[in-house]
Amino acid sequence: MAIAQAMCTSFKKELLEGVHNFKNSGGGTFKLALYAEGSGGKSSTTATLGATSTVFVTTGEVASSGTYTTGGGSLTRVDPTTSGTTGFTDFADLSFTTATITAMGALIYNSSASNKAVAVLDFTTNKTSTSGTFTIQFPTANASNAIIRIA
Amino acid sequence: MISVETGVTVQSVNVMTSDEGGLNTEQLTQLAMDKVINVADSAPPAIKDQAEAFRGSIENVLRHYIELARREERATIAYRMAKAGQKEMADLVRRI
Repeated sequence: MAIAQAMCTSFKKELLEGVHNFKNSGGGTFKLALYAEGSGGKSSTTATLGATSTVFVTTGEVASSGTYTTGGGSLTRVDPTTSGTTGFTDFADLSFTTATITAMGALIYNSSASNKAVAVLDFTTNKTSTSGTFTIQFPTANASNAIIRIA
Repeated sequence: MISVETGVTVQSVNVMTSDEGGLNTEQLTQLAMDKVINVADSAPPAIKDQAEAFRGSIENVLRHYIELARREERATIAYRMAKAGQKEMADLVRRI
Protein backbone atom coordinates (compact mmCIF):
# COMPACT_ATOMS: atom_id res chain seq x y z
CA MET A 1 0.00 0.00 0.00
CA ALA A 2 1.33 3.38 -0.92
CA ILE A 3 -0.06 5.05 2.17
CA ALA A 4 0.04 2.95 5.33
CA GLN A 5 -1.14 4.21 8.71
CA ALA A 6 1.79 4.31 11.11
CA MET A 7 3.62 6.15 13.81
CA CYS A 8 6.86 7.03 12.06
CA THR A 9 9.79 5.05 13.43
CA SER A 10 12.07 8.09 13.28
CA PHE A 11 9.54 9.94 15.47
CA LYS A 12 9.85 7.32 18.22
CA LYS A 13 13.60 7.91 18.31
CA GLU A 14 13.16 11.68 18.19
CA LEU A 15 10.80 11.52 21.17
CA LEU A 16 13.66 10.06 23.21
CA GLU A 17 15.92 12.81 21.93
CA GLY A 18 13.52 15.57 22.96
CA VAL A 19 13.03 16.81 19.39
CA HIS A 20 9.26 17.30 19.58
CA ASN A 21 7.24 19.47 21.96
CA PHE A 22 3.45 19.13 21.82
CA LYS A 23 2.63 21.62 24.59
CA ASN A 24 -0.05 24.15 23.75
CA SER A 25 2.11 27.01 24.95
CA GLY A 26 5.60 27.13 23.53
CA GLY A 27 5.31 23.87 21.59
CA GLY A 28 6.39 23.28 18.01
CA THR A 29 4.35 23.98 14.90
CA PHE A 30 2.78 20.75 13.69
CA LYS A 31 1.19 20.58 10.28
CA LEU A 32 -1.04 18.16 8.43
CA ALA A 33 -0.49 17.67 4.71
CA LEU A 34 -2.88 15.74 2.45
CA TYR A 35 -1.75 13.09 -0.04
CA ALA A 36 -3.17 11.23 -3.00
CA GLU A 37 -2.51 7.82 -4.44
CA GLY A 38 -2.53 6.77 -8.08
CA SER A 39 -1.06 9.92 -9.64
CA GLY A 40 -3.69 12.09 -7.94
CA GLY A 41 -1.04 14.33 -6.40
CA LYS A 42 0.19 17.55 -7.91
CA SER A 43 2.27 17.01 -11.04
CA SER A 44 0.61 13.57 -11.36
CA THR A 45 2.58 12.08 -8.47
CA THR A 46 1.56 9.34 -6.06
CA ALA A 47 2.35 9.23 -2.37
CA THR A 48 4.40 6.60 -0.59
CA LEU A 49 4.07 7.08 3.15
CA GLY A 50 4.42 4.77 6.13
CA ALA A 51 6.48 3.88 9.17
CA THR A 52 9.68 4.57 7.30
CA SER A 53 8.71 8.17 6.47
CA THR A 54 11.12 10.52 8.18
CA VAL A 55 10.28 13.93 6.80
CA PHE A 56 7.59 15.89 4.95
CA VAL A 57 7.70 15.24 1.21
CA THR A 58 5.96 16.95 -1.68
CA THR A 59 5.62 13.81 -3.82
CA GLY A 60 1.98 12.85 -3.95
CA GLU A 61 0.78 15.87 -2.00
CA VAL A 62 -2.51 17.27 -3.26
CA ALA A 63 -2.44 20.63 -5.02
CA SER A 64 -3.45 23.89 -3.38
CA SER A 65 -7.19 24.47 -3.49
CA GLY A 66 -9.46 26.77 -1.50
CA THR A 67 -7.90 27.30 1.92
CA TYR A 68 -5.58 24.30 1.47
CA THR A 69 -2.10 25.38 0.47
CA THR A 70 0.72 22.98 -0.30
CA GLY A 71 2.59 22.10 2.86
CA GLY A 72 -0.73 21.60 4.61
CA GLY A 73 -2.53 23.31 7.45
CA SER A 74 -1.22 24.12 10.91
CA LEU A 75 -2.62 22.04 13.73
CA THR A 76 -3.78 23.53 17.02
CA ARG A 77 -2.03 21.66 19.83
CA VAL A 78 -3.79 20.42 22.94
CA ASP A 79 -1.59 20.01 26.03
CA PRO A 80 -0.39 16.43 26.52
CA THR A 81 -1.92 14.74 29.54
CA THR A 82 -2.28 11.34 31.17
CA SER A 83 -5.04 8.95 32.12
CA GLY A 84 -4.11 5.89 34.12
CA THR A 85 -0.75 4.79 32.80
CA THR A 86 -1.22 6.26 29.31
CA GLY A 87 0.11 9.59 28.13
CA PHE A 88 -1.54 11.22 25.14
CA THR A 89 -1.92 14.39 23.14
CA ASP A 90 -4.54 15.75 20.77
CA PHE A 91 -5.12 18.37 18.07
CA ALA A 92 -8.16 20.47 17.25
CA ASP A 93 -10.10 19.41 14.16
CA LEU A 94 -8.81 20.90 10.92
CA SER A 95 -10.94 22.13 8.00
CA PHE A 96 -10.14 23.34 4.52
CA THR A 97 -12.98 25.25 2.90
CA THR A 98 -14.03 25.97 -0.70
CA ALA A 99 -11.56 23.25 -1.66
CA THR A 100 -11.58 20.66 -4.41
CA ILE A 101 -9.49 17.85 -2.96
CA THR A 102 -9.21 14.10 -3.31
CA ALA A 103 -6.96 12.60 -0.66
CA MET A 104 -6.20 9.08 0.51
CA GLY A 105 -4.12 10.00 3.53
CA ALA A 106 -2.17 12.58 5.47
CA LEU A 107 1.15 13.22 7.12
CA ILE A 108 1.52 15.01 10.44
CA TYR A 109 4.92 16.65 10.68
CA ASN A 110 6.80 19.14 12.80
CA SER A 111 7.63 22.23 10.78
CA SER A 112 9.56 23.64 13.76
CA ALA A 113 11.96 20.70 13.61
CA SER A 114 13.11 20.53 9.99
CA ASN A 115 9.73 19.09 8.89
CA LYS A 116 10.37 15.81 10.71
CA ALA A 117 7.56 13.29 10.25
CA VAL A 118 5.32 12.31 13.18
CA ALA A 119 2.60 10.02 11.90
CA VAL A 120 0.99 8.81 8.69
CA LEU A 121 -2.81 8.68 8.52
CA ASP A 122 -4.49 6.33 6.05
CA PHE A 123 -8.07 7.32 5.17
CA THR A 124 -8.47 3.78 3.63
CA THR A 125 -10.64 5.20 0.83
CA ASN A 126 -10.39 8.35 -1.25
CA LYS A 127 -12.06 11.29 0.45
CA THR A 128 -13.25 14.01 -1.91
CA SER A 129 -14.57 17.53 -1.54
CA THR A 130 -15.67 19.49 -4.60
CA SER A 131 -15.73 23.23 -4.02
CA GLY A 132 -16.60 22.30 -0.47
CA THR A 133 -15.24 21.58 2.97
CA PHE A 134 -12.64 18.92 3.77
CA THR A 135 -12.62 18.29 7.53
CA ILE A 136 -10.25 16.07 9.49
CA GLN A 137 -11.71 15.19 12.87
CA PHE A 138 -9.32 13.85 15.47
CA PRO A 139 -10.53 11.10 17.79
CA THR A 140 -11.67 11.71 21.34
CA ALA A 141 -8.73 12.66 23.53
CA ASN A 142 -8.58 9.84 26.02
CA ALA A 143 -6.31 6.94 26.89
CA SER A 144 -8.06 4.61 24.43
CA ASN A 145 -8.64 6.85 21.43
CA ALA A 146 -6.36 9.91 21.36
CA ILE A 147 -4.48 10.49 18.14
CA ILE A 148 -1.02 10.00 19.72
CA ARG A 149 -0.71 7.77 22.76
CA ILE A 150 2.14 6.31 24.76
CA ALA A 151 0.86 3.36 26.75
CA MET B 1 18.58 -6.87 32.94
CA ILE B 2 16.20 -3.98 33.53
CA SER B 3 13.88 -3.01 30.70
CA VAL B 4 10.59 -1.14 30.27
CA GLU B 5 8.29 -2.02 27.42
CA THR B 6 5.91 0.60 26.09
CA GLY B 7 4.02 1.40 22.91
CA VAL B 8 3.60 4.59 20.92
CA THR B 9 0.47 4.43 18.81
CA VAL B 10 -1.45 6.53 16.35
CA GLN B 11 -5.24 6.41 16.05
CA SER B 12 -7.37 6.81 12.92
CA VAL B 13 -9.07 10.10 12.11
CA ASN B 14 -12.54 10.77 10.79
CA VAL B 15 -12.78 12.67 7.50
CA MET B 16 -15.95 14.55 6.56
CA THR B 17 -16.31 16.27 3.19
CA SER B 18 -18.89 18.27 1.28
CA ASP B 19 -19.51 19.41 -2.29
CA GLU B 20 -20.42 22.90 -3.50
CA GLY B 21 -20.59 24.47 -0.07
CA GLY B 22 -19.90 23.71 3.55
CA LEU B 23 -20.85 20.78 5.73
CA ASN B 24 -24.58 20.36 6.31
CA THR B 25 -26.35 20.30 9.66
CA GLU B 26 -26.40 16.51 9.83
CA GLN B 27 -22.64 16.29 9.22
CA LEU B 28 -21.91 18.93 11.86
CA THR B 29 -24.16 17.10 14.30
CA GLN B 30 -22.26 13.86 13.72
CA LEU B 31 -18.90 15.62 14.18
CA ALA B 32 -20.10 17.05 17.48
CA MET B 33 -21.63 13.78 18.66
CA ASP B 34 -18.36 11.94 18.09
CA LYS B 35 -16.80 14.29 20.63
CA VAL B 36 -19.68 14.40 23.09
CA ILE B 37 -20.35 10.76 23.87
CA ASN B 38 -18.88 7.35 23.12
CA VAL B 39 -20.75 4.18 23.99
CA ALA B 40 -18.45 1.21 24.32
CA ASP B 41 -19.56 -2.01 22.65
CA SER B 42 -18.40 -3.81 25.78
CA ALA B 43 -20.70 -1.81 28.10
CA PRO B 44 -23.30 -3.85 30.06
CA PRO B 45 -26.61 -3.97 28.10
CA ALA B 46 -28.61 -1.92 30.63
CA ILE B 47 -26.02 0.84 30.75
CA LYS B 48 -25.55 0.69 26.98
CA ASP B 49 -29.30 1.13 26.40
CA GLN B 50 -29.43 4.14 28.71
CA ALA B 51 -26.34 5.66 27.12
CA GLU B 52 -27.75 5.16 23.61
CA ALA B 53 -31.03 6.81 24.64
CA PHE B 54 -29.11 9.73 26.15
CA ARG B 55 -27.02 9.96 23.00
CA GLY B 56 -30.17 10.14 20.86
CA SER B 57 -31.60 12.88 23.03
CA ILE B 58 -28.41 14.97 22.95
CA GLU B 59 -28.17 14.45 19.18
CA ASN B 60 -31.65 15.87 18.62
CA VAL B 61 -30.92 18.93 20.77
CA LEU B 62 -27.61 19.55 19.00
CA ARG B 63 -29.16 19.15 15.53
CA HIS B 64 -31.88 21.64 16.40
CA TYR B 65 -29.52 24.30 17.72
CA ILE B 66 -26.96 23.87 14.94
CA GLU B 67 -29.77 24.39 12.42
CA LEU B 68 -30.99 27.39 14.41
CA ALA B 69 -27.47 28.87 14.56
CA ARG B 70 -27.06 28.51 10.79
CA ARG B 71 -30.43 30.16 10.15
CA GLU B 72 -29.79 33.03 12.57
CA GLU B 73 -26.33 33.65 11.09
CA ARG B 74 -27.84 33.80 7.60
CA ALA B 75 -30.45 36.23 8.89
CA THR B 76 -27.75 38.52 10.28
CA ILE B 77 -25.72 38.35 7.05
CA ALA B 78 -28.80 39.02 4.93
CA TYR B 79 -29.73 41.98 7.12
CA ARG B 80 -26.23 43.48 6.83
CA MET B 81 -26.25 42.97 3.05
CA ALA B 82 -29.66 44.56 2.66
CA LYS B 83 -28.58 47.48 4.83
CA ALA B 84 -25.55 47.94 2.58
CA GLY B 85 -27.84 48.13 -0.45
CA GLN B 86 -27.25 44.55 -1.67
CA LYS B 87 -30.90 43.50 -1.64
CA GLU B 88 -30.58 40.79 -4.30
CA MET B 89 -27.62 39.22 -2.52
CA ALA B 90 -29.50 39.45 0.75
CA ASP B 91 -32.44 37.54 -0.76
CA LEU B 92 -30.05 34.94 -2.13
CA VAL B 93 -28.58 34.35 1.33
CA ARG B 94 -31.99 34.29 2.96
CA ARG B 95 -33.18 31.55 0.55
CA ILE B 96 -30.25 29.17 1.27
